[in-house]
Amino acid sequence: MINESIIIMRFEWLISLMIVVLFILNLMGVDKKPERFMNIVNVMLIINFVAGFIPIKDGYLFQGFYHTTALIVLEKNILNLGLLLIAFSAKQWIIESKRPAEFFMLMFSSVLGMYVMLSSGHILVLYLGLELSSLPLAALAAFNTDSRKSSEAGVKYILSSAFSTGITLFGISLLYGAVGNLGFDAIIQHIHEDALTLTAFVFILAGFSFKMSIVPFHMWTADVFEGAPTPVTNYLAVVSKGSVIFIFITVLYTVFGKLENAWLLAISVLSVMSMTVGNIFALRQQNLKRFLAFSSIAQVGFVLVGIAGASNMGTDSVVYFLVIYLLSNIALFSIVEAISDETGKVTISDYKGLYKSNPFYAIIFTVALFSLAGVPPTAGFFGKLFLLTSGMGSGMYVLLGFATINLVLSLYTYLRVVKAMFIDKEEERMPIIKKSLLTNFVLAVCLIGIIVLGFAGVFYQYIDSISSQL
Amino acid sequence: MSASTIIFYIVSALVLVFGAMSVFTRKIFRAAIYLLFSLIGIAGIYILMNMDFIAALQVLIYVGGIIVLIIFSIFLTHQAGDKLPKPLFKRIVAGASMAAFGLIVVLGVFYKTAFKVTTEAGIDHSARSIGRQMLDYHHHGYVYPFEIVSFLLLAALVGCIVIAVKIQKK
Repeated sequence: MINESIIIMRFEWLISLMIVVLFILNLMGVDKKPERFMNIVNVMLIINFVAGFIPIKDGYLFQGFYHTTALIVLEKNILNLGLLLIAFSAKQWIIESKRPAEFFMLMFSSVLGMYVMLSSGHILVLYLGLELSSLPLAALAAFNTDSRKSSEAGVKYILSSAFSTGITLFGISLLYGAVGNLGFDAIIQHIHEDALTLTAFVFILAGFSFKMSIVPFHMWTADVFEGAPTPVTNYLAVVSKGSVIFIFITVLYTVFGKLENAWLLAISVLSVMSMTVGNIFALRQQNLKRFLAFSSIAQVGFVLVGIAGASNMGTDSVVYFLVIYLLSNIALFSIVEAISDETGKVTISDYKGLYKSNPFYAIIFTVALFSLAGVPPTAGFFGKLFLLTSGMGSGMYVLLGFATINLVLSLYTYLRVVKAMFIDKEEERMPIIKKSLLTNFVLAVCLIGIIVLGFAGVFYQYIDSISSQL
Repeated sequence: MSASTIIFYIVSALVLVFGAMSVFTRKIFRAAIYLLFSLIGIAGIYILMNMDFIAALQVLIYVGGIIVLIIFSIFLTHQAGDKLPKPLFKRIVAGASMAAFGLIVVLGVFYKTAFKVTTEAGIDHSARSIGRQMLDYHHHGYVYPFEIVSFLLLAALVGCIVIAVKIQKK
């Protein structure tokens, strides 16, 4: 039993161990020398990432509170990749923040929460994981104690998060009233469509929508993204959002699988609103972090198109798309971070003429934007293609029509930034950003990933093979 | 109507009235005190359901801990005695209609639903058995969620320190 639990729960054990090691290092005063401390943390992150690939057999623990499958392991590996890349690209900022140990304690706790959430087989555990993954993020958003905007971001995040949690909990208690049990298996057996269950579902959906920042529950996104330190924004946009989407699919397809007729319409309406509002508002933004916030809202709208397919392909296309989304966004945020750390510039007009001063950054920025927009040679095109193909399965052709219109709209939105970088005349020349090795490594990984994933059909087939076993 | 039913309605009425007062009062300190009474009332409902341990926890955590924390933070803001500004009429209408809508939907759903009375035997709710269940990993014990909560609290502590402690920049 003990051995088994260590093997099956390896992800959770490892990250918990890393949290404990951070406390010990902090006590020993190692984090007073940030350079050395960062090297230790990076080595731990690499071990964590590599260890993720050792196969784990599927299994249940704690009478169904915890379960793991190949798909869940893959999702955890994707989150690990995000964590690793973000930590690498943020090295300089973390060293300057003076509190590296606290930063990573909070970040690892949040990741632990995501693992717990992804592996949950019971709504109680799901809820605890959701909380554990989002509470530390409020402190991280307010990490920059000197900046008012950062504090504001922290307060906005914790308030909206508490509000959404309250709504979710109310939904969960209604579900408990309707079903009489909160284990996933029991709910799947006993759930049936009636007024109480639907009300419960609506409340739970609203709570999830807050965390995924789906319109109309997106109000916090732009302000928090803008105010929080860039590495935290990166984490919020990529890892945090990705993990909630992963668990959302599972909950929607399995736990609420029997309510498909009811949620299909809800998901479609939310999807259309997210895509449209995200794209239109992104057009109006000058600050790049706000721009990326609205772009991420629009991207989640596209993800919902794939989810509406309600088939294996829904899972496949969403997981595949999220990997590409992760790589593209990490590339974008890393560049925004490198440039704003060096010069303090974060608006689109500051990026005019970036190609002349920093061609390497400009090219990667462009490729990542193309990937988000879904322009062919990049993997983003295939991601969007699969999402839309999956969406065809729902038979909601109006939804697909809106998605297509929004694809065109998003192209304009993203190309506006590309135009600023390549064509517009700069008002003042951007200094040449000194290249940090780790940031360049991250950018290279993202660039290779964005291009190669589109042509490596193996990866998509792998996702398909493990998701069809479920 | 049995005595416990009557007591239930009285306690529930107290909870609701104090809850409403805590929302509607414009002095923030009073709001905290009304909330205190409302939470004590909820402890009363737990006692009526024979959940003594939960009632004790409710008093200990919410009344003893959280309300004291709220009162502390109100005092720290230096505006404990001030009246909150009057809300705009527009917002009163919007808020009231949203609340009414929510109430109607939830009440309507409850009214329509035929709740099943559980056939399972009541659980042993003594503090001893609850304590055992918390640390049990065999018989549907809750040791796993229990440990997650401990990590959650740890993260919350670190988070508080990060926000509260100012660091000297060179």
